[in-house]
Amino acid sequence: MSTFFQFVIEGLTIGSFYALVALGYTMVYGIIRLINFAHGDLFMVGAFIGWTGLTALAAAHVPLALALLITLVASMAVTGALGLAIERVAYQPLLRAPRLSILITALGVSLALENGVLLLYGAGFNTYPHVLSHTGLDVHGVQITFAQIGIIVASFALMLALYFFVHRTFVGTAMRALAIDQDAARLMGIDVERLIQLTFFLGSALAAVAGVMEGLYYTQINFFMGFVLGLRAFTAAVLGGIGNIPGAMAGGILIGLLEAFGAGYVSSRWTDVFVFGVLIGVLVIKPTGLFGERVVERM
Amino acid sequence: MIAQKNGSLGASRVLRQTTIAAIAALAVLAGVAPGSAQSQTIKIGVPVPLSGSSANAGTDIVNGAKLAAARINTAGGVLGKQIEIVPEDDACDAQTAVQAAQKLVDAGVVAVAGGYCSSAALPELTTFHRAGIPYVLDASTNPKLTEMGYDNVFRTIGRDDEQGPFAASFIKNSLHAKRAAVINDNTTYSKGLADNTVEALKKGGVDVVYDDAITPGQMDYSPTLTHVAALKPDVIYYTGYFSEAGLLVKEARQLGLKMTFMGGDATNDPTLMKTAGPAANDMIITTAPLAQFLSAAHGYVDDYTKAYGQGPGPYSVYEYDAVGVTAKAIADAKSATPAAITAALHKISNYPGATGTIGFNPKGDRSVAVYITIIVRDGNFAPYQKQDANGHWMAMK
Repeated sequence: MSTFFQFVIEGLTIGSFYALVALGYTMVYGIIRLINFAHGDLFMVGAFIGWTGLTALAAAHVPLALALLITLVASMAVTGALGLAIERVAYQPLLRAPRLSILITALGVSLALENGVLLLYGAGFNTYPHVLSHTGLDVHGVQITFAQIGIIVASFALMLALYFFVHRTFVGTAMRALAIDQDAARLMGIDVERLIQLTFFLGSALAAVAGVMEGLYYTQINFFMGFVLGLRAFTAAVLGGIGNIPGAMAGGILIGLLEAFGAGYVSSRWTDVFVFGVLIGVLVIKPTGLFGERVVERM
Repeated sequence: MIAQKNGSLGASRVLRQTTIAAIAALAVLAGVAPGSAQSQTIKIGVPVPLSGSSANAGTDIVNGAKLAAARINTAGGVLGKQIEIVPEDDACDAQTAVQAAQKLVDAGVVAVAGGYCSSAALPELTTFHRAGIPYVLDASTNPKLTEMGYDNVFRTIGRDDEQGPFAASFIKNSLHAKRAAVINDNTTYSKGLADNTVEALKKGGVDVVYDDAITPGQMDYSPTLTHVAALKPDVIYYTGYFSEAGLLVKEARQLGLKMTFMGGDATNDPTLMKTAGPAANDMIITTAPLAQFLSAAHGYVDDYTKAYGQGPGPYSVYEYDAVGVTAKAIADAKSATPAAITAALHKISNYPGATGTIGFNPKGDRSVAVYITIIVRDGNFAPYQKQDANGHWMAMK
């Protein structure tokens, strides 16, 4: 039984990363119906900016807590700004073009980001400084590290904050209006362009948080890390019902649990089969996903 | 306007064709020039990746070859002639490798000592076999290379299927483990090493409680490790690459697992310690020895560091021996023709190389392969244990 709960803890940890990245996919899709395939790479860029910041601050002997805070905020700001710039340069001119053009552009952006980081940082692995303690609790044979608790709590807090932002604030209401009908929203005086930019900024900043957390927890980053995680997070978004924020959170956690149970009870070599099997299954059986009932009202 | 454009285009085409012709003529001349100098030097070809992601390893190997040639040449050369090293870039790519091998044949090399990626060395070997030129491999460990039935192939390094039995012997006779878990990453190399190890472990009576693959490229392998831990192995042997190995050993220690963690030779990379931090300590790796850990190679390490201002890398010492043993064969044969060198290489039985005594079995593999175990101590690799001639395990100094 302790093994079962161990898998649950591991699945929640893995799923937290998927959920944070899945939110970016789902928000962008909800607003402009674009599957932003570059989103996994923004997660990777966030991890690299965090690495640069943290190693620089560590070299300057900045106290650890302060260094972490600055790194996180800087990574969110820079990655968010990058997401904004990508929207400006690559997506905005194509908003009225056929869907396929913008989808292919997203793939191009993904390649550009990966190869840009490859050129800047090289093909090898970069490693974060070891700052998280490996200590934790032993609850009846189930090992939980404080770092895992931190990751799970932080991602749930961020997801809740986003949920309340979208559902309880004026700007969030405008975003939802935009998701329902862009033209009607514009007629109501909503600044559509600004809101699309805000969405990209928020999604990218969340991906940056996931990237920095991944770097801190797993320590190892490289230019290709966004690909695998991006695809799985996309699957999570589809599973939850793409365009739906609580759906992305639930989808991320479910995919994480599926990965943990699959690797634990069957074999890690089948992970991709399980995850993408779910993707195909959802697309065939219930394309709207778990939470995607209300097609009219997304997010 | 259009006519004018065409006119200028035509002119530029003529110019371009002239240029190409001139370059071609120069190339022919350049090709002829070294050919005419053929009688003054004995040329040994070195096909290695000099571009792409393995370029560093290739450069190290060429440096090792040049050091060997310099040593032989200052001692008077071979048969009164100087050894000339001819490097060629194979880019770790099968197609480029064929062209590189052909270039070396055209340049008039009498023997080849080099190779890095097995996938590139294989097509090179076929080209050299057709030309009747001996190929002494320094770093390509795929068993297939010496299983082609060619008589012109030799190896100064061990082969992948020798590492498995070595690792199994260490697990059984040095660690005295009763239960072992073997994890691979489903790549050809890793799966092959895992299969050979599992087979040897079972033959030796060690209980293999887990033998399965992980999906490389992920970050979290904790579920697999939780599963493995429940089977209570005394040792985990991971046969994949260093990046996943670093994550695995770190996550294993985070889960509070205390058993010995071992890796194959692809985990022999400092990134392992950077990823795992203190968790990597006491991890044991089976590997072909680095030059630093071979007492006979200390002089080589010093010379290399003095000449190039950096360490010799993992494979250049095997290239140093590959060139050395080739020169010895030329001296033994008293002839610098490829056929005579091949025949003489087959007769080599105890050449005193920097990596130990070198002799070749009928397939061309090194008759006594060298593997050692190294251990991570305080974030660095340190020599751990080796096998003596009777198979007993002893500590390395």
